[in-house]
Amino acid sequence: MKTLAKLALAAAVLAPLPVLAHHSYAMFDMQRTVALEATVVRFKWQNPHAFIEADATSRGGTERWSIEMTSPNNLAQEGWKRTSLKPGDRVTIWVHPLRTGARGGSYVGVRLPNGSTLGEAG
Amino acid sequence: MRLALGCAAALLLAAPAAAQLGAAPKSPPPEGVAEDGGAGHAKGHYHELDALPDWGGIWFVQGGASGGGGPPLIPKLKGEYLERYQAWRAEVQANNGVTRRNRSNCSPPGMPRIMRLAQYPYEFLFTPGRVTINQEAWMQTRTIWTDGRAHKEDPDPTFMGDSIGHWEGDTLVIDTIGISDQLDLDTGMPHSAQFRLTERIHLSPDDPDVLVNEMRMEDTEALEEPFMVTVRYRRDRHGSLIEFQCAENDRNPVDEEGNTEFL
Repeated sequence: MKTLAKLALAAAVLAPLPVLAHHSYAMFDMQRTVALEATVVRFKWQNPHAFIEADATSRGGTERWSIEMTSPNNLAQEGWKRTSLKPGDRVTIWVHPLRTGARGGSYVGVRLPNGSTLGEAG
Repeated sequence: MRLALGCAAALLLAAPAAAQLGAAPKSPPPEGVAEDGGAGHAKGHYHELDALPDWGGIWFVQGGASGGGGPPLIPKLKGEYLERYQAWRAEVQANNGVTRRNRSNCSPPGMPRIMRLAQYPYEFLFTPGRVTINQEAWMQTRTIWTDGRAHKEDPDPTFMGDSIGHWEGDTLVIDTIGISDQLDLDTGMPHSAQFRLTERIHLSPDDPDVLVNEMRMEDTEALEEPFMVTVRYRRDRHGSLIEFQCAENDRNPVDEEGNTEFL
């Protein structure tokens, strides 16, 4: 998976055009990954993108993050289901953060309460 | 006064109701199709479908939007179309790589870009006289007529265009015109109303779970030379498309300046 991701990254850097998706990914800093210790507030399993809303622990208390994922049909292939997350779950989520500094990002991976991981965790 | 308003409303309502009570709509057969033939007369022809290749399941674009491998292919625009693209690129660079949108992100990209999406799969359905491509993305439907009809004369410009296909052995050959010139041929790249797309779709000789789409784009006004790109799709035999109701989950509205927001 890591090799694949690196290859994908190399391809993305080479490609002169943004990847064709629901919208451009230029809003995210795809070179940077941030780990969030967070409590799930909402997990929405729906096109065009599944997403996670979570309260992340920070120095100042908690911050509400909005994390965009890829499509459910893509996520299902890495083992995701509609029931993979539920409100109140304590998780670690890795994201490519928004360039604006707002509390949002593009999903990279997650460690679930039972210790198992999905995507690129760590 | 209230009565008059009521009357006016009744009159307004009466017109469409009356139209519904009249004769059923009756379109003439398309050019090249007999009155008793064509896709509208599918019954009695279903057994013919068994001769078509095995494209069952759903299909995901493989190896990135360009199908992977080799240097990225770039259409050679010319004239005002090249100038428009260069202006677009300069603006994107000045805007920190962020593309401005003049349409909602819930508005689909249309042809030909919708055949090259990395995130959402496709399915190909065969019925007598037509092939239907359902696209998970924006829940779009593409119809390719294979019943021998000709292109519509002066088709209305649309997101999907007017597609006529035929089988050459196990290869579906599709000719598409009438794609709206408000759409891009590739990201940020405009095309004219002369844009024409030919697709040759067939299973890979090396792997029956890979479908190959050889796309050829021609545009005498916008392109220096025909642009060719091959897209590969990999099969998920028992997969199914998932609903795509963008308006119910629009976390990326576009603001007045054309910037995509993130909610």
